[in-house]
This record gives sequence, structure tokens and C-alpha cells, in this order.
Amino acid sequence: MNKPCIMVVDDEKIVGDMAKFHLEAAGYDVETFVNPVLALERAKTKRFDVVVTDLKMKGVDGMEVLRTIKAISPSTQVIMITAFAHLSTTVEAFRDQVFEFFPKPIKIKDFVAAVKRALEAKGAESDGA
Amino acid sequence: MTIKRTLIWHSITIIGLLAATGLFALHDVDNLVTMTRFMEIQEKLNASFLEMRLLEKNYFLFKDDQAIHDIANSIRMVDGTLDDLSRDMIKAAGQEKYQDLRHALDAYRNKAQDIAASKARDEDSEMALRESGRQVLEFSTGLTMNARGKIGELISGSKRNLLISFPLFLVLAVFSTPIIFSRILSSLDKISLLALEVSQGRFLKIEGPVQNNELGAVITAMNTMSEQLRLREDELVQSKKLNSLGFLTAGVAHELNNPLNNISMICQTYEAMYDSIDAKDRLEFVSQIAGEVERIQAIVMSLLDFAKPKPTIFMPGGVNAVVRRSLKLVRNTLDVTNIEVLLDLTAGLPLVNMDVNQISQVLVNLFNNAIQAMSEDQTLAVRTRLSPDGMVEIEVQDTGHGMTPETLSSIFDPFFSTKGTDGTGLGLSVSYGIIKNHQGQINVQSEIDRGTTFDILLPAVESGEVENE
Repeated sequence: MNKPCIMVVDDEKIVGDMAKFHLEAAGYDVETFVNPVLALERAKTKRFDVVVTDLKMKGVDGMEVLRTIKAISPSTQVIMITAFAHLSTTVEAFRDQVFEFFPKPIKIKDFVAAVKRALEAKGAESDGA
Repeated sequence: MTIKRTLIWHSITIIGLLAATGLFALHDVDNLVTMTRFMEIQEKLNASFLEMRLLEKNYFLFKDDQAIHDIANSIRMVDGTLDDLSRDMIKAAGQEKYQDLRHALDAYRNKAQDIAASKARDEDSEMALRESGRQVLEFSTGLTMNARGKIGELISGSKRNLLISFPLFLVLAVFSTPIIFSRILSSLDKISLLALEVSQGRFLKIEGPVQNNELGAVITAMNTMSEQLRLREDELVQSKKLNSLGFLTAGVAHELNNPLNNISMICQTYEAMYDSIDAKDRLEFVSQIAGEVERIQAIVMSLLDFAKPKPTIFMPGGVNAVVRRSLKLVRNTLDVTNIEVLLDLTAGLPLVNMDVNQISQVLVNLFNNAIQAMSEDQTLAVRTRLSPDGMVEIEVQDTGHGMTPETLSSIFDPFFSTKGTDGTGLGLSVSYGIIKNHQGQINVQSEIDRGTTFDILLPAVESGEVENE
């Protein structure tokens, strides 16, 4: 059985680095990107089970990542990292497409658990399909 | 001396002089009337005495017995007249002269009575009567001459008084009145000038010695007021700055959140995976933490720098640098709200004599207002250019909800706010004060649903120096 593939997109390099440590330790394949444009390029050539993306990034923001990923691979689960308690109306409109909004600062245990839940959800969806 | 006392003394002096001149004139006229009446009496008496001398001639020369009785009658009549008019005559000619006349007349009467009784016509009697008559006439004529002299003196005295008092009036009117008025008016001019300056937001003071009068008190009060207003404005500027800070904090919180999250994640990783990370990675972790702490410090420093009260310092500086610096302060707010910035800064603009912190405060305030007026994905445009009349212009344009003309007319008024409890209503009023204090102008145009444009015009420094980009 293949390892689940996780993509982490955050323009803060440390977030990706640290997430990679823990997610790899949990037994997943992890690719990290600080540049969302490159991340989306990569998504065109490889299917990821879960994409974790920051909402606020320079250039392409998390909403763009969400839209593109869902267009390429609707079954991919997207976890959106956001520092804001209040989501703007634009973001709110896509709430049902996002598996989970995850708050910053990140509690790593909860974060790994969230990724795990997303994988389970994806598995359930795939089984159903 | 107070103005009130000066004016009172001035009036008293002029009124006193007028009254004194009037009284002197009245007194002189009174004397003249007395003397004139005396002259009339005296002339009548002279006529009587001349007639008596004629009667003497009739008696002695033409042997007219009736004549001596006529003389006695005349003397009686004159006596009566002198008794009746004794007061007027004494007043005009003096007691002594009056008495001399009476004595002379008495002597003449005695002689006439003796001759009437003895019917004498001898040479001695004639000589005695004639001598007596001559003396009476002489006294009387003397009195007339005396009265004429006195009338002459009175008239020339009157003339002299007028000649003295008129120049005195002239001096008072021509010199002292303008001096008093110009002192009051020059003080009033200074006060009205200061009032004008204060009303335009320039809290100056009237320099120089202050007169110890009512206007001096007003000037002192105005100076105190101006100073108080200046202090209040400083306080307002500071409070407004702290208010802007509240709005900036939302953006700053986001900016702080990233390095804090980074540190937090490193720490969690360090703790959870201590055994599995090698020494090189551990060192890397620590240096990353140090880097993130520096990021936080830089953010905190820029906030502290903005919030700190600073004395107003005017220095020649470039507006483009201030625009960039101010945009940096709202950078995160812009990111959070997803608002684009269109920057169009003209290079090589003349320098402006300004307090960089205050102009930055004005810009941050305008940026914040613009951001609050807009929704996501709209654009904030900031342009700098040279205005046609040689001033340096900063334009802040948003594409937000705009303002009605009614709102527009009061936006610079203190405590006017459209933001309810979210605003103090002081931001633009303080900005207005700051720009006025820079001898500049701040203008605004707005259209509902189209957006608002603020224009700040600041005078260029005269040295002709330009901003190096």
C-alpha cells in the first residue's frame, strides 16, 4: 500500500519544515512549498491525498490553491490554515469545500490529528465512490 | 495705567480745560457788563457835573440867583444816584475812588449851600466854588478814564486767556489723543492677528513686553489660551495616534502571529522529537528561533516608534520616503483586508519642511480611513507629484463607499465621525491641524460608491533641494 501523500503550502518556510518532520514521522510522504505557484504546478503532475495551505500568502492566496486543487482533484481534502477567527464572506462561501479551518499558531499534535482525519475522510469518500 | 483710567483722565483734563476757559470767559463778560453799566452811569454823572459848571457861570457871570439853587438840586439828584448805585460803582471803581468822589461832592455841596445862604458873589466865593466843581469833575473824569482802562484790560486779558487755552487744546487733541488711540489700536491689531492665526490652527504667541492695562490682560489671556490650545492639540495628536494604533494592531497581530507560530512549532518539534533530530538540526532550530525573535522585535520597535510622543521637529525631507514608511505601517492591514496598493511616486520632487512623524501620522490616518471605506480586492492609490503652483502634492485615493456632500462638509470638524463608537471623530481634525501647521492644505473630493480622494499640498523648501530616490 502506498504512503498517503500530503502537500503543505505556506510562505513561512519553518511551517513547512516543521510540518514535514511530524507528518513524515507519522508515516506520510510530504512535499512542502513556500511558493503557491510552484505548489499548483506540482499538483498538476501529482495527486495528493491532503493539501494543507495557508490562507494568507503573497501572490496566490489559499483560496486560489483551494479552487485549483479541487478542480484538478475533487477528492483531495484541503486543510486551510488561518490566523483569523473571523472568516471573510468570500472564504465563508467555500466553507463546505474545506475539510477544516486550522488556526495559527499551530498545535502540532492537533495538526497531525487533523491530517489523519482528513485522510480518513478521503478514504471514506473513495470507498463510497 | 489702565485704558479706563487713561481715558477718564484724558476726558477729565479736556472737560476741565473747557470748563475753566468757559468760567474765565463768563467772569470776563460779567466784568465787562459791570464796567459798561458803570461807564453809562459815569457818563450821566459827567453830564450832570458839566451842567453844574454851566450853572456856576450863570450864577457868577449872569447874576442868575436861581442857578445856585439849581446847583444844589443837581447835587441832591447826583447824591441820590450815587447812593442808589453805590454797590455797582464800588465794584467797578473801588471803595477809595467812590469815597473821594463823595467827599469832593460833599465839599462842593457845602460851598454851594454857603453861597446860596449868603447870596455872595465875591471873588473868593467864586474861586472856592469853581475849584470845588472842578475837583468833582476831575474825579468823575478820572473815574471814566479808569473804567475805560479797565475795559481795555478785561478785553486783552480775555484774549490772552483764549490764546493760552487754545494751544493747550490743540496739543491735547493733536498729540495726546492719537497717542492714546494708537496704543489701543496697535494692541487690538496684534490681538486680532493672533485670533486669526489661532482660528486657522496656528497657535502662536504675541511676543514683546505686555502693557499693564486691559489689552495687556487680554494679550496675556490670549497667549495663555494659544499655549493651552497648542498643548491640547499635542495631546489630541497623541491620542489620535494611539487611536490609529488600535486599528493598526489588527494587522500587526497577524504579522506577529507568523513568527510566533514559527517559534511555537520549532519548540514543539524540539520537544517531541528531541532524540531523533541531530545536533546540526538542533543548532539550526535555535538560530531559526533567534531569527524569528528578531522579526518580532522589528515589528514591536516600529509600533513603539509610531506610538511614542515626539516633539514637533521641522526638517527638510522627501514625501516619497514618508509615503513608503507610512504604507509599511499599514502593510499588514492591507494584506488582511486584501486591498491592493497602486503606488505612483514622482521622482525628484522638491524637499518639504516637515515633521516626518506628523505627516506619517496623517498618511496612516488617511490610509486607515481608505481601507475601512473599501471592501476586499479594491485599490488604494497613492500618488505624489508637483502641483501647478509649485507645491508638493500627496494624493490618497480610495475606491470605497464615498461620502455624501453633507458628510463631506463636516469631516474636518472635531468629534465628527461616521464610524459610531469605532471612531473618535478626531482623526481628520487632527490631520487638518497638522497640515495647517505645515502651512499646507488638505482638500477632499468624494462621490458616493465611487470613492474618496484626499489631496495634501505642502510648500516646497526654498533651497530647491530635491528628494534623492
